[in-house]
Formats: sequence, structure tokens, C-alpha cells
Amino acid sequence: MITVLQDNLGALWQGVLTTLAITALAFLSSVLLGTLVAVFRVSPIPPLRLVGAVYVEIFRNIPLLALLILVAYGLPEVGISLSLFTTAVLSLALVSAAFACETVRAGINGVPVGQAEAARALGLTFTQSLARVILPQALRTMVQPLVNIFIGVALGSSLAAAVSVGELTYQAQQVGNRTAEAMLLFGISALVYVVIALLGGGLGSVLERRLAVRR
Amino acid sequence: MPTPPALTRRQVLRLSATLALAVAGGSTLAACGNDKSALTGNQTNVSDYDKIIAGGPVAEAAAVDGNAWAAKIKAAGTLKTGGSDAGPLFSMKDPSTGKITGFDAGLAQLLSRYITGKADGPIALSITTVDTRETLIQNGTVDTVFATYSITPARAKKVAFAGPYYRSGDAIMVKSDNTTITSVKDLDGKRIATQQGSTTADRIAKDAPGAKVSLFPDDAQCLAALKTGRVDAYVIDQGILISNASTDTTLKVVGEPFSDDYYGIGVTRDDPSAKEFVNAWLTAIEADGSWAKLWKATIGTVVAGDAPAPPKIGSVEGS
Amino acid sequence: MVNTTRVLFDEPGPRARRRIALATVVAAVVVLAVLFWAYRGLDASGQLALARWKPFWQQWAVAFLLQGLWGTLLVTLASALVAFPAGTLLAVGRAGRRRPLRWVCTAYIEVFRSVPTLLLVYVFLFALPGVGLNLSIFWKLTVPIILINSAVIAEIVRAGIKALDRGQTEAALALGMTTGATVRRVVLPQAVRLVIPTLVTQLVALLKDSTLGYVVSYPELMKQANNLANNTKLLFQAFVVVSAIYIVINFALTRLATWLETRIRQRTGARPGGAPVAGGPVATAVDPVHDLPTTVAPH
Repeated sequence: MITVLQDNLGALWQGVLTTLAITALAFLSSVLLGTLVAVFRVSPIPPLRLVGAVYVEIFRNIPLLALLILVAYGLPEVGISLSLFTTAVLSLALVSAAFACETVRAGINGVPVGQAEAARALGLTFTQSLARVILPQALRTMVQPLVNIFIGVALGSSLAAAVSVGELTYQAQQVGNRTAEAMLLFGISALVYVVIALLGGGLGSVLERRLAVRR
Repeated sequence: MPTPPALTRRQVLRLSATLALAVAGGSTLAACGNDKSALTGNQTNVSDYDKIIAGGPVAEAAAVDGNAWAAKIKAAGTLKTGGSDAGPLFSMKDPSTGKITGFDAGLAQLLSRYITGKADGPIALSITTVDTRETLIQNGTVDTVFATYSITPARAKKVAFAGPYYRSGDAIMVKSDNTTITSVKDLDGKRIATQQGSTTADRIAKDAPGAKVSLFPDDAQCLAALKTGRVDAYVIDQGILISNASTDTTLKVVGEPFSDDYYGIGVTRDDPSAKEFVNAWLTAIEADGSWAKLWKATIGTVVAGDAPAPPKIGSVEGS
Repeated sequence: MVNTTRVLFDEPGPRARRRIALATVVAAVVVLAVLFWAYRGLDASGQLALARWKPFWQQWAVAFLLQGLWGTLLVTLASALVAFPAGTLLAVGRAGRRRPLRWVCTAYIEVFRSVPTLLLVYVFLFALPGVGLNLSIFWKLTVPIILINSAVIAEIVRAGIKALDRGQTEAALALGMTTGATVRRVVLPQAVRLVIPTLVTQLVALLKDSTLGYVVSYPELMKQANNLANNTKLLFQAFVVVSAIYIVINFALTRLATWLETRIRQRTGARPGGAPVAGGPVATAVDPVHDLPTTVAPH
């Protein structure tokens, strides 16, 4: 049992790193993209609002696995061939951005109306009032939902195994198969995911406290 | 923020309109034709195929009853077997009929016919994935596994292999315009696709150590990876590759098969009578020509020439 | 939510209106250009050729996909039927006062909502048969979905319980109801009603989880699509078709959730999904405005 672990530590560690890399990259991209789409959705420009709405409806309703397969095998058909790792990051980011967008939008809506009115009264433009007044305040209520999106991204990254990306779930399955210690390896992997989720949650709580308005 | 009820009603209306449209659309689509020409994956000659199964040999009642393993299957009335439903030539489900045909599927049916005596050779197929095969045999979920199942000494420690029943050779498929890859030596340093659970990956690691191998679940994914330039070559059994190339002119098979891979029938190790019985059956279908006829109706639809001589039973380490 | 945009900018004056009109035209042109570029790319690659799509509306393909849809619905419904009650029980256990029970429920919830469904599917597929637990393919897919989603649903229901005014429990107890009766007849009915929209969106998550049939070879939509892809060599088209089916179904479910949310808000004056009825700490476990429960994994 111990030797199995020693012999395969490299593969497992590689899996952990890949999972972390996919999760971090996909989460950051999804927050950026999600914010952009949210700005589209609240902007006064009808075509952008439409794009935002269509984006959200497509990407929060498509199963990640289906999107992964489409990006892996469909995009190359239009001349965009990405590595499988990038495929995983992109698919996860696209899906999570739809959720992030709704979180940002909810956050914006949660900011008291008076704040926006005050910003306008001061002569700030739409972009200025959004960037300087509304979004910074919206961030506070967004922390918890964003933590959950982060955990969702970490868990979702496991589906990259289905398109042969060597992340944690994939490595656990491969090593488990080779060594007949499947239960042990799946147990360890589950533990790693739980730790990632806990770390994400902890970081969220810290952030929430830092962002809290001192009254 | 008050929301007027009219809006919600409009939402409901819109929702039901969408649904109605979807249903209507669905039924119009369903009313369209029933053209099966797109089904290129299944090249089995079905009318021949059914005749071959029905014409297969049946064991003496005494032989079945005298073998604990076979007697149990006869009592159940059907052979529980493991295999694929997405493997071209070997075991492929036809979506238009739901019928699974191919060389492996046909052999399973012939074995069922041999034991049960029924003309249609009834089988209950459990889909085996990557490496569930040994487990499914060990825990008795299936009686046999026919699944392009390469005999290896490592696997033989977990299950018993009857056969070999087929000699496969891995070949290389590239895009038609590729001129740099012509043999296994050229695979070094290239990106290669192959199917999960095949022994091909190990073979490539030995013959072309610098190759970067990606494992994909089924033939379709490997093919897509090759066509879209994700990999430079696709390596798997020559028959499967020829089948692919026969329906797609942008692809070609290069060089001769560079490996000898022997497929066996996985059965339990716990009951030696299982392997013994399946080998006796294999001898019978090879002797009476059923094996060759089945080859002709499945693999023979894409590979030219007569059926090859089947490999000698028990000739491979692990069998 | 309706008023967001009204808040962020004034009723535009003539100059602003001109600017918006200009931006609209520019945006429309850009969007159309992108769409056209995508269309050109697909067209040039031959992926849009009618012959590559036609197979999918032939009777055999429609029948085959309907079989898949039936499989998908079966897995989703079976998971929902077990996971919803189980999740509710877990939530009550975690919210309750009995220590060991609370600990067990908490541990279960925290572990199972932090583990990927695929990993658990692998456990049932590869590890458990080795120790004698060998379920049918249907349950190898459905049991992991149930185990994980009951933890997620527990958190949703718990958010509903937390959002309920303490006065409800206090009043019930003051009336002489037992703790059990209070939970069953006062707390749960109200809490569940509050989170119904979120629970409906959780159906979408269940439906998405059922796509793992692709991994275990259970004939639901994804697996059927894979089979069509292998048979027709039209992998891209096969998965576009099933993706569209998934999007339509999930879109309808999300819409249903939004509609339920507005209805509940009208009837109770409360914001469903966790916001308190009367003051108290805001239960942030559920997104207060939209139907995004914070526990929903975006896959």
C-alpha cells in the first residue's frame, strides 16, 4: 500500500498540480469574462444586452461534458486547435462565466439604489459609476457566491479526465487501475478535493472580512 | 419592486409557446425520411451475419451438461458477455435497429448458440469500459468477454484467456497529404492517438519511445483528433483503420501492421472448465468454417482477400 | 432586478440617445461580423453541409435520441426522487440539536459536496466491485449522483431553514407543539417553499450530472450521441445536436424556476432563496436575487 503510493507519487502530484492549474486559470478567466458579460447585460446598448443574455442562457444550460467534447473536437474544425489542457480551461471558464455573470449582476442589483443615484448626481458616467461606485461595493455580497463558483470549477475540472487531461481524477483512475489499489487512490483524491474546497471557503471568509464595511 | 402579474402570465405563455414549438418541431423532424446511408460505421453484412449465427455448430447435450460452467449458461438461456457497442467491425450498435453486430459480437452469439442451441444465439451484453473487463469477469457479472481483448501475461493473472481467436496487427493511419510518416519508426517524436484500454500504447512506448500518446475513449474521438490535427497519427488494429479509410478519402493507412496482438476470450480463472469449454467451441467453429464466414461478413467487408488462418489456440503466453 | 439599468443611467437626453444609437449600430455590426466569421469558418470546413446534418432527423436517429432522452430523464428522476427527501432529512439533522446526528450530517454534507461526481462514479465503477459491491450500470451512475446531490440539496434546504424567522419556531413551541411536529409542520413547509426555485434549478444540475452516462456507458443522451458519432463519423454534429437538446430542456427548467420565484415573492412578499422574511442575518448561502444557489456547481 505504502509502496504503491511511493511509486506513483509523481503521477498523483502531477495530477494535483494540473487540477490546481486548471482550476486557477479557469476561475480567474471566468470572473473576468463573467464581469464583462454582466456589464453587457446592464449596459444601455441593446445588441450587447442580447449577446449577454444569449451567452448566459447557452452556457449555464449546456452540460460541461458536452461543451468539453465540442471544444476539443469542434473548434479545430474552424481552424482553432487548442491543447487538451487549454480545452479544459476554456470550457470550464465559458460555463462558469455564465454563473459568474449572474453573480455579478446580482451583486450590482444588491447595491442600494441611492449609491447609483448619488454617483449620477455627481456627474459620473455609466462606466465611471459602474467601475468606481457600484462594482467595488457589489464585490462584498459576491464573495460567497464566487467561492461556490470556485469550488464548482475545482469539481468541474475533474471532467477534463473524460477528454484525457491528466488531472487528479484521471491520474487516480489510471494509477488505481495499474496497481489494484483503486479505493486508496480515490480516497486520497477525494481528500485533496475536500481540502481545495475548504481552502477556497477559508479564503472567501478572509476576503469577506477584509471587504466588510467597518461601521 | 412590484412585478405585474401580466408579465408572469406572458412568461408562462412564452414558455408554453417555446415548448409547443419544440414538440411540433420534434414531430416534423420525426416525420422526415429514414435514410440510413450515413451509417458508415457498421459495414457488417447483416443478412449473411444472421445466417452464419443460425448455421453455427451446437454442442452435444452431454458435453454441455458435463461442464459446470456451460450448464449454468444453458440453464440461464442466454450468454452474459462483456464487450463494446462502439467498436467498428468488432462490436458496433446500429442505431437504426439497436442490433449489435461485428466479429466479436458474432463470436459471442456463436458461443451462445453452441451452448443453448438457439438459432439466434442470444447474448446479454454488458458494455465494458477501459479496464472494467477483468473486474466484470472476476465478480461474475459476465460469463465471457469478447472485446478486442489482447492476451497479456499481466491480465492472465486476473482472468483466464481462451483462444487466441484473432491475430491483430496495429497499423498507422495519417491524413492523406501526410508524407512524413510511413512506418512505425517515423512515429518517434510525433503525437499519436489510440484507444483507451488497448495494448497499443505500450507497443508505441517500446517501438517509438519519443512519441506522445493520447488516449481517447472510442474510435470516433481518435478519428476526430487525427482529422482536426490534434495528433499526427492514429494507431490501432489495421482492420479498424481500413474501415475508417474506406469511407473517408482524406485519410490513409500507411505501412504494414507492425505488431502482433492476439485477442483472447476472457473467462473466469476460478473454474478451469470455462476455458476448456470455450477452447473446444473455438476449435469447432474454426473447423466447420463458421469462423472464416464470420470474418468475411465483418472484417472481410473492408480487408481484401480470404479469411486468414486463425491463430493456434494456446499459442500465446497467457492463453 | 428589473430596475437595474434604470438605476445605472438616467433617462438619456438627446446627446446620450445619439451616442447610444451609435454604439448600438457599432455593437450590432461587430456581433454580426463575429457571427459571420464563425459561419464562414464552419462553412469553409464543410461542417455545415446539409448532408452532415440530415442523418440526425432521420427516423432511426430521432428514435435513437428519444431512447437516450428517456434514459436521461430516468436517471434524473430517480436521482431527484431519492436526493430531494434525503437532502431534506440531512438539512434537518444538521440544523437540529442532537449532537452526534448533527455531526454526522455535517460531515456527510461537507465531504460529499466537495467531491466531484466523476470521482465517485469511478469509485462505483472500478473500486467497489473489487470489494463485492457491483451495481447495475444504471445505479453505478445514479447512486453517485444521489450521494452528491443530497448533500447539495441539504445545504439549499438549510438556507431556507436559516432564512425563516425564529419567531415561527418559537410560536410553534409556545403553542405546545413538540420539536418534531414544529419541524415537520411549521419549519419545513415554509423553508422548502422558500427554496423551491433553487430546488428546481438543482434539477438542471442533476440533469447535467446524468451526462456521465457517457463514462459508464449507460444509454442516456450523451452516450447515444457518442454511439451516433461512432456510427456516422459525424462527431461534431452529433454533439451539437444533443447539446441543443440539453440547452432547450435546461432553459425551460431555469425559466420555470424564475417564474416560481416571482410568484413566491408576490405571495409572501419575501425574496425566495434565503433572504430573511423579517430582518435577521442574511442567509448568504443562496444568491439573494437570482436563481443561483451558491451550492450549485457550474457543471
